[in-house]
Amino acid sequence: MRTLRLAADVWLLTARALKVTLREPWSVVPNVAISLFFLLVYNAGLGGIGRLSAFGGMPYLSFILPVALVSGSVGGAGAAGQALIRDLESRYFTKLRLTPVSRTALVVAPMLSGMIQVGAQTVLILLVALALGLKLPGGPAAAVAVVLLAAGWGLGFAGYAVAVALRSRSGRTAQAATFVFFPLLFLSDTFVPMTLIKAGWMRVAAHINPTTYVFDAMRSLLSGAAQPAPVVRGILAVLALAAVTLGWAVYTAQRTLRDA
Amino acid sequence: MAEWTETKGTSNLAVTAAGLRKRYADGTVALDGIGLAVSEGEIFGLLGPNGAGKSTALQILTTLLIPTAGQAQVFGLDVVRCQAAVRRVIGVALQETGVDPLLTGVEALELQARLHGARRAEALRRARELSERLQLEGFANRRIAGYSGGMRRRLDLAMGLVHRPRILFLDEPTTGLDPLSRKALWDLVRAVHAEAGTTVFLSTQYLEEADALCDRIAILRAGRIVAEDTPARLKGRMRRDVIELVPADAAHCKALLVVADGVAPGAAIDRETVRVAVADGAAAARALLAAADGAGIALAGLRVAPPTLDDVFIELTRDQGADGTVMPPRLVPDGPFGGGA
Repeated sequence: MRTLRLAADVWLLTARALKVTLREPWSVVPNVAISLFFLLVYNAGLGGIGRLSAFGGMPYLSFILPVALVSGSVGGAGAAGQALIRDLESRYFTKLRLTPVSRTALVVAPMLSGMIQVGAQTVLILLVALALGLKLPGGPAAAVAVVLLAAGWGLGFAGYAVAVALRSRSGRTAQAATFVFFPLLFLSDTFVPMTLIKAGWMRVAAHINPTTYVFDAMRSLLSGAAQPAPVVRGILAVLALAAVTLGWAVYTAQRTLRDA
Repeated sequence: MAEWTETKGTSNLAVTAAGLRKRYADGTVALDGIGLAVSEGEIFGLLGPNGAGKSTALQILTTLLIPTAGQAQVFGLDVVRCQAAVRRVIGVALQETGVDPLLTGVEALELQARLHGARRAEALRRARELSERLQLEGFANRRIAGYSGGMRRRLDLAMGLVHRPRILFLDEPTTGLDPLSRKALWDLVRAVHAEAGTTVFLSTQYLEEADALCDRIAILRAGRIVAEDTPARLKGRMRRDVIELVPADAAHCKALLVVADGVAPGAAIDRETVRVAVADGAAAARALLAAADGAGIALAGLRVAPPTLDDVFIELTRDQGADGTVMPPRLVPDGPFGGGA
């Protein structure tokens, strides 16, 4: 009964968050535009290196697409934090706190709406990539798996953004916190396969960076010859991030909402 | 509903509090040990100037803040230990709460009803019913961003009523409203109270408001309750006459105040009238007339009136102000950004 109630509350709050996002579409556009820009520019400028043997015959478009998707999911998840800040500033959040809704529902709802938003924009970016000539040898199943990975990665970052928003209650801090985007996105096998990365420290950083495993899982799926190992590692990276940030967000909510 | 059975002995009291104290992290003591007892069905007012601790008290009673010491119950439910149960019986319109400006009035009301457990159809029906009841019909399907201040207050009130609470908490419900909207809101509060027998617990910095609405008032100053009684009996405590002087030219109000203050210290301006509390009305009236004459200020009127709550308030806060921190009460409502104790 309690679980049902929680699920119903989460759904109501998520639906409202999505409705409000649709009413302010301009908050979503820049992030999608940046992802598409990455896709176009990197593919147009670097596409030729796809002929190197290290790429194993994979078209560069398929190789760079995960970078655009992950950039979109990290940025889209940041919007979940901004949405929470908006509610804190309009004091609507306090109004919601005064209903019998659980604290967990209050933080899970913006995370979920962030995830759904990320899923939708991932589909959009995929469609653009198809228009650019992306081939999907893995078929629709691989495409769906890629969307789920991106959405899951978005959920994880939404948890991070929500926790930071709750702790800081400031739009600027929440904005600043999204700078983790840069090391996470670029200290990895972002542009070339690991074997072509020259600096030793960069290879170490890439191995530590969980984003690398998400890139590798997506690339494996997009290549059409998906190996179980990289896909499983990617799923584990997504689940681990989501579990850690969800836990952090719920813990932050329990602590900071007790007494302001 | 287990909490009800444990505490049935106190449930005829809507609010009880004892030794309630709140010290913020920065060391400010907002509440310095207050006790309250509000009966079911009462309209109770917490009256005081900005910074007296009204908002803090309301936030504790509505489970938003944890007191540093002391305890409080709402219908016998402890506000710290039974937060979820308290939230089901209280309706709230606080300054600390707002509504998402991108939603429409009906959407906000419907969501509020559903979060309180109503089914979809029932929630929508309640949302429509309340928007009609609170005169929001024409705007119910428009975004809240376009609402006027008065409409927002009415929506806030409607949102607090969605789940038919047993008690309604209102934090400075009319601060910043124009006189018409303020009267309209008073009428709504009275109607809600009369129709459903809902207990009302409100805070205000306007004595006029407390006098107009409340059955009983507690006057809060610097975190302590300095007086508690019915408005009539509080006024009865003043065994003094109040003389009202109206200058012929409203521009002379300030000058007249200075003159009157010289005769009887503690004179104050209320709209275009200078009010002075004195021990002996007849003697003071003569002295005041002479003084005004001497200063060359023509008078349009002079009245000896029974004391209002303003006078009680000035008197009480002066008594307590031995430490030199007398805070003058607000006699005239200020602009839209006023308030926020």
